[in-house]
Amino acid sequence: MEDTQALDLSTDTQLFLLLSAPQAINTMNLLMIKKILTGKCTPLIISLNQPCQVLVKSYAKEGITPDQYYVIDAVTHYAGGTMHPDSHTRYINHPADLTGLGIAITEFLKQIPSPCKCILFDSVSMLMIHIPTATASKFLQFVVNKLKISDVSGIFLCVEKGLDPVILSQMSAFVDKIVDFEDIQK
Amino acid sequence: MNRGDNRYKEYINGNIRSILWVIDMAKTAKKRSGTAQDASHEDVFKMVFDRIQTGILIIDPETHTIIDANDHAESLLGVKKDKFVGKVCHDFVCPAHCGQCPITDLNTPLHNTERVLLSASGERIPILKTVAQATLAGKAYLIESFTDIRDRKKAEERRIALLAYLNESVLRIKKPLELTGENLRRIEQQAGSGDYTPEEIRMQIRLQSNNIMTMAATLQDLASTAAEERDDIPERFREFFVGK
Repeated sequence: MEDTQALDLSTDTQLFLLLSAPQAINTMNLLMIKKILTGKCTPLIISLNQPCQVLVKSYAKEGITPDQYYVIDAVTHYAGGTMHPDSHTRYINHPADLTGLGIAITEFLKQIPSPCKCILFDSVSMLMIHIPTATASKFLQFVVNKLKISDVSGIFLCVEKGLDPVILSQMSAFVDKIVDFEDIQK
Repeated sequence: MNRGDNRYKEYINGNIRSILWVIDMAKTAKKRSGTAQDASHEDVFKMVFDRIQTGILIIDPETHTIIDANDHAESLLGVKKDKFVGKVCHDFVCPAHCGQCPITDLNTPLHNTERVLLSASGERIPILKTVAQATLAGKAYLIESFTDIRDRKKAEERRIALLAYLNESVLRIKKPLELTGENLRRIEQQAGSGDYTPEEIRMQIRLQSNNIMTMAATLQDLASTAAEERDDIPERFREFFVGK
């Protein structure tokens, strides 16, 4: 069984696949942000689940201010919302725009001044709505390689049992740990 | 019919029985040489041997040379009989190396076993192969009979790809739908809290709506694929799941 120690991001570059029930995925997002900040890391949230504007409010309720994190928002434009890009926020036109997403990740990783950075990918399950498993697998492998080269940690959120066994086995090959959210809560 | 199907086994066994009957007829004909009936036996033998839709090779087990072949074997190999009769079988039709003949060297019985036949063009043809030993005029021979199963293999691959595609589509719908359900409940709470602007609520509902439409499109594609049993399953799925 995993515990919170399994998610120690301060000591070494680590990559996690974090599984949770659908009803817990937003709680998991919040907990992970807090965990990253507690570890004196700067989070870069890749949001495919909630528009940035909503995330900002949810985080603000937990006392997390926008200057503490960076966001790549892949859904605001897709949802017909107004985009307000700034130094902490970038927008992608569509969740399936993997090229745009890759460029935004690369640029933010260069731009974020903090020596300790951690990507929070929310979520692999939402990415699967828009692209086939095979494409998602290749893209995630690209992101993981980029993180390893850049010495950046990463947490990939995913709904439990929401992955094809093939992609799960591939993911388990390139992340350091697969952690069940229920185990963390215990 | 598939390989495990009893009807298919009966079909193969029927073919083998036909071959053995023909060989028996030939033996009988030889014993009765000179009579008027011999010609008809020879004719029957020749007709069945060449028209049966099973490739047949007669091989000398000592030298592994091909002694004779029927028309169907010729057709499958894609080369005239005179080009391969007299040649060593493992140089020509069998991928096994010299000294590793499954029958004479490894003593492995072959009975409706899936094997590969090498054609003259280099194509590897999947076959079901049976090798029987027979003695004609005091000399032992190997009677190889084989059935082309390319169509069946293709159908199997299509079925695997289709199943994988269905599985993939279900996974791309079921969990995201659960997540969408949760998101809608969260949006409902947010709408009631008064902390979020109408634009924020609208944007989130639109996001969930777009996601549902995308899932519906995936589902439609799934339904069409299942209904029409098309062979245009995207190549990337086929490559990924069939491993080709």
